[in-house]
Amino acid sequence: MIEVDEVAVIAGDVTLLAPISTMVQRGEVLIVRGRNGTGKSTLLRVLAGARKPSSGTVRIGGAGAVERDRGFRRRVAAMIGLPPMASDLTVFDHVLLVATTWTDDQAAAAELARGVLSELGLDALHGRFPHELSSGQMQLFGLALVLARPFEVLILDEPEQRLDPEHVESVIRVLRARRDGGATLVVATHSPLLADRLADHTLRLDAA
Amino acid sequence: MSTASGAAIGIWRARNVRTVGDRWFLVYLVHMVALVTVAPLARAVWLSATSAEGLALLASPAAPEVTMLVVAGLWAGGLVLGRDRGPALHPPFLTHALAASDLPRSDTFRGPLLRAGVRVTATTTLVAGLVAGSLMSHGLADPFSAASFTAVGALVGVLATVTWLAGQAFPRAAVPVAVGVLGLGATIAAIPAAQPFTPWGWVGLAYPASSASHTPVALVALAALTASLVAAVPMLMNRLGLTALAAQAARWDSATALAMGMDFDTAAALYRGRAHTGRRALAVRPRNRLAWTFLIRDAIGATRTPGRLIVGVVALAASGVLITLAFAPAAPGWLLGAAAGLMVFAGIGPLTDGIRHAASVAGDFPLYGISDERLLANHALFPLAAVVLVLLAAVMVCSILTGTAAAAPLVSAFVLGLLALFARVDNALKGPLPPALLTPIPTPMGDLGAAARIAWALDGILLAALAGASAALAFEAPLLLLGVAVTFIAVGINRWRHRG
Repeated sequence: MIEVDEVAVIAGDVTLLAPISTMVQRGEVLIVRGRNGTGKSTLLRVLAGARKPSSGTVRIGGAGAVERDRGFRRRVAAMIGLPPMASDLTVFDHVLLVATTWTDDQAAAAELARGVLSELGLDALHGRFPHELSSGQMQLFGLALVLARPFEVLILDEPEQRLDPEHVESVIRVLRARRDGGATLVVATHSPLLADRLADHTLRLDAA
Repeated sequence: MSTASGAAIGIWRARNVRTVGDRWFLVYLVHMVALVTVAPLARAVWLSATSAEGLALLASPAAPEVTMLVVAGLWAGGLVLGRDRGPALHPPFLTHALAASDLPRSDTFRGPLLRAGVRVTATTTLVAGLVAGSLMSHGLADPFSAASFTAVGALVGVLATVTWLAGQAFPRAAVPVAVGVLGLGATIAAIPAAQPFTPWGWVGLAYPASSASHTPVALVALAALTASLVAAVPMLMNRLGLTALAAQAARWDSATALAMGMDFDTAAALYRGRAHTGRRALAVRPRNRLAWTFLIRDAIGATRTPGRLIVGVVALAASGVLITLAFAPAAPGWLLGAAAGLMVFAGIGPLTDGIRHAASVAGDFPLYGISDERLLANHALFPLAAVVLVLLAAVMVCSILTGTAAAAPLVSAFVLGLLALFARVDNALKGPLPPALLTPIPTPMGDLGAAARIAWALDGILLAALAGASAALAFEAPLLLLGVAVTFIAVGINRWRHRG
């Protein structure tokens, strides 16, 4: 369960996120909407433990959100912008390496890597290097990297960015499957389609 | 230049007209740089070239052959450089506007090509003039051969500009042709009978202290070759494609902007070779021990940029040779050690892509199922193994060939390898320029802010040179080495704690 209680972020004289409270149960999807500059990404960073709120508290599974805490790292996955990619690894190498570091079962890691890439329609790109991908393919690849690791909570910032409508549909399918598997999702998006198809709750942020 | 392209370039230049004050400041700046930097440097170079040691080097029997090799290297370097940054290039917007028009490239890109050519030719003429002048000043060359060699220097510069442009026009062929140019240059240098028939040979034959009396023939032959290649310049320019020009202009613009902001690492990364081979071979081959998985992954990853890997290994081997020579009797140990430090720092670069990746992951959201510390340690295994292996092998071979004791250089090389790895880790964790360094640092000698920023930007290179010097002096001044090692570790820990 995610509990957000009167969380605000202020930098100097600028309010990046006005006080906000919400709650999400296990296996639910919270869609965060709002115009540019209303603090969507800031809220996600706070939830992902990468930014301390100026006031208020965040609790995920009963514990505070601290990105460098070992238990928190196991439970919470986040993609806010593209994850770092190694220039000397192919798409499949990348996803397999991420999966391998989370399990001792090597066959399961390879199967998971293939499965995630297949779910996102990236089968034909196994042998490509990151610099050989288009911007939309890069977005899907970033998502594949995050999905190749286990998580209880998944935090995504505009996963539909740079994607065509068919691939947005793929992403919706993949995220629904994760939710149905018991994961809690927090997704900031500008896509009405993604919001309508995924939302259990919607949080609308107004200009601070 | 046609009216249309002249008008377009005129509009571009008119957007930022310098005021009279700006121009006077520029004049002042040029004079100050000339007085404070260029004049002392030029004097030091002249004094070294005319010193007994300098003259012995310039008048040695091997000097013409060495000159041939240097010229072959210059032309080959021009070809390779042209692939990534050619001489015919405007700023991005102007490049796009002119290259997308129907105006011929030979017209619209003539200006930057001429400016680049003048710079290259002036440099080669100056170097040739310096060599010829120093030999003439001590009666080792007559005025005619000195003047001829200076003219040859100018022709070499023009040819270097043409090869630079050729690399830009034929990027795919640039590397194989460059290897051919370099290989032929080395071969011709070793076969005197072939020298009168090749451009490299003509340069060697025109060398002022050369015993051969072929100078006029060599000069005429080189001039004829230059004229014929210059005639091909419009054809080369008109081959330049819009996409390639726009990409080169954008990359150069980003790199210069980053370099101006003292972010030399990111600027250099823009020109780092990209993986292009070995995509069918899995780099990730899961093992029971993750450390092995990462070691193999990094090793296979390095082979995917084979050119970088070869250059890196050669630089590491050269570093091993330098550190061995630093222990030779009467050798300037600290100087050779510093050079070895720079070489090992450069050589280990292509082997540390994994470390740079680990550093960027450590500053981002968790991706791997191991701690950031373990990820970094795993990625350090391959460069550590490679650097120790290559350095120690080079030291052993060099010791056997020179007949010197291997024990001391082996220890120093091992320590230097470790320190270079630390330097690369520190560099990967560096982050952006601290805002505090943007403030002035007033001292009785003036504002040291710029010096501090340069020191920060080049700290990896400076520390690597210091590490090399201290490794060469490890047995004479062990405390210095200890101090350098502690500095490396302290810098690394500090940057690690402030990562992300």
